[in-house]
Amino acid sequence: MTDLRTRTEAAPAASVPSSTQSKRFGLSRWDAKYTPYLIVAPFFVVFAIFGLYPLVYTAWVSLHDWQLIDGNQGFVGLANYAHLFGDANFWNALFNTLSLFVLSTVPQLLAALGLAALLDRGLRGSAFWRAGVLLPNVISVAAVALVFAQFFGRDFGIVNYLLGLVGIDPVDWRADTWASHLAVSTMVMWRWTGYNALLYLAAMQSVPKDMYESATLDGASRWRMFWSITVPSIRPTILFTVVTSTIGGLQLFAEPALFDPGFAANNSTGGSDRQFQTLVLYMYEKGFRLFDAGYAATVAWMLFLVVLVVAIVNFSLTRRIAGKE
Amino acid sequence: MSRRLVGSIAATLVMVLAAGCGGSSEANGKIELSLGLFSDFGYDKLIEEYQASHSNIKIEQRKVKMEQHNTQLATQLAGGRGAADIVALEEGVVSQFRASKDKFVNLAEYGAKDLKAQWADWKWNQGTADGGEFVLGLGTDMGSLGLCYRRDLFEAAGLPTDRKEVAKLWPTWADYAKVADQFTAKTPNVKFVDTGRNVYKAILDQTEEGYFAKDDSYIAEKNDKVKTAFDTAAALGTKKQTGALEPFSQEWNVALKQGSFATTTCPAWALALIKAGAGDAAAGKWDVTTAPGGGGNWGGSFLAIPKQGKHPKEAYELAKWLTAPEQQKRIFKETGNLPSQPKVYQDAEVQATVNEYFNKAPVGQIFASSAESLKPTYRGTKDSKVGPVFGTALTRVEQGKQSAADAWTQALKEAQDAVK
Repeated sequence: MTDLRTRTEAAPAASVPSSTQSKRFGLSRWDAKYTPYLIVAPFFVVFAIFGLYPLVYTAWVSLHDWQLIDGNQGFVGLANYAHLFGDANFWNALFNTLSLFVLSTVPQLLAALGLAALLDRGLRGSAFWRAGVLLPNVISVAAVALVFAQFFGRDFGIVNYLLGLVGIDPVDWRADTWASHLAVSTMVMWRWTGYNALLYLAAMQSVPKDMYESATLDGASRWRMFWSITVPSIRPTILFTVVTSTIGGLQLFAEPALFDPGFAANNSTGGSDRQFQTLVLYMYEKGFRLFDAGYAATVAWMLFLVVLVVAIVNFSLTRRIAGKE
Repeated sequence: MSRRLVGSIAATLVMVLAAGCGGSSEANGKIELSLGLFSDFGYDKLIEEYQASHSNIKIEQRKVKMEQHNTQLATQLAGGRGAADIVALEEGVVSQFRASKDKFVNLAEYGAKDLKAQWADWKWNQGTADGGEFVLGLGTDMGSLGLCYRRDLFEAAGLPTDRKEVAKLWPTWADYAKVADQFTAKTPNVKFVDTGRNVYKAILDQTEEGYFAKDDSYIAEKNDKVKTAFDTAAALGTKKQTGALEPFSQEWNVALKQGSFATTTCPAWALALIKAGAGDAAAGKWDVTTAPGGGGNWGGSFLAIPKQGKHPKEAYELAKWLTAPEQQKRIFKETGNLPSQPKVYQDAEVQATVNEYFNKAPVGQIFASSAESLKPTYRGTKDSKVGPVFGTALTRVEQGKQSAADAWTQALKEAQDAVK
């Protein structure tokens, strides 16, 4: 507040006598130098409290034998990390995380592209359709998971019933690794396809129409126009959605957790043999079922590094594609 | 990890706000006590009465699912704030919280030791530490074992339906497995039991030492009783006689409603769950009888008082009142939660109680006699970490993913990691 006042006072300062002018001038220089920092400070303060501090604190915890209730039991250095690298369950969780990420993100983004292209054609009642595709995203994830868990029920699920109609034996969706990944991915896709479609749609609307017109004059097909004009034009948006779904996908928790009936009974291993246990689920198991906060913090840090690596890959991709244009 | 900080900020905000409105914790000069519970303790009416007779006390119940309750409590104890004034500790986790007893009030300071005679010895001992010097919690109910079965499905399989006759079919769990074979031979499309995991848990709850010896040393791999229980349950799974269901899950409820399994293990508190899942359409179809292998205890809780609370004395008075014999008797009549006090479950009125839904089964008598003969299992400090490992192993057998032997080997390895 004071800074704003000095700024408004500093403006007419040019006309006042020189003795005070230098002082005022100094103040306005201070103002010009530091005010921007003060203005952006709230973000950094909030970031430091809610972003940086937990990050550093988690790193600190991961270097200790730390029990959830009883707290610090002594410094162990990198022992937790050493154990982690030899922990088959960690690698299993990492594999599941990446597999679920690929299985849900790739079809999801392709479907979102198709959906956006359809919505971009100017259907009747477009507002209705646009609101409609966002609907899955605003429904509580717990409700979604509850319904999908029923769909994919082994004994009385609709999916198995439908498969039975075409002569396929019932699938035990929670027992088989790939079946469970497919089921969980379906849930993720259902929730996020519409959201991404709307982002693509917004980008598509800003593609200049005359490009399509000249392409039509040249006799290009709709398919050709889509891949040669639409997709390249909305590249930045595609990359944005790739990055956000990467971060979201790698932190997958609620869907597989609620898909596992054992989660409610504290057997939160993501399947009887950890078939769909993601990294976050594994962290939850260690931290909140086994109360080993130190190890859970280690898993959290590894997850952070994995997300970081994937984010860097995506960043370099962004630059390469931007350079091409 | 940020939880702590967020918590402290939230707490500061709350304090500032509370100061602004003149202290909400003692609004109108009343002392507010909170009760952290899970499922149904049957306290609603009792609390109203207590508030009426203690005009300076206001009581708030917080109910969440049991597992959520345990996790929340752990984080609240770790954070040093947020826990209810009185918290329920389930038998399966009480040993785990006993290891952190410095976070709880020693109820002996308020004279809890004078109440010792109210409870069955084993129940009292489960709630104490340091050879009885530290009183962690006062016992609420207990989960003495019975076995529930579907009369109509038994009849279809040519088995007796009268509960005394059924009890004679299975004096031991080996006999129970034989009945399963007979049942499956006649009606192969109906599962004999909901899940091997509950059978396993029930057998284990009938032994005095399970995963841990009474000196808290880990003995699962050399304890024949654990292996026998596992093999019995796994054999049912291998023969596809189990529904391979997650106990008490949504699918378990659906299966109950569809009548797709014929028996299930029944601690006293499970009757309410079965009734809720099977619904009114199945009234009179379910019945309850004596479990194979004698008495056992599964579940039941304690009321403990975290140190962080502001009114330990008042909290103690309330916990003492809620767990007193008169109240336990009333709770049994209203909800069916079995009292953990011999005087109460031997009471003529309790013994005469029948459960209409379960074909008028004399539940008072069945559960009380099971309680008389039970040998409580010693729960090790890490019992709640080891138990689930064997449960998921049995699920793998039921799912056909592993042989019983492989599942056992993997479970032992995982359990070893969990006790480290």
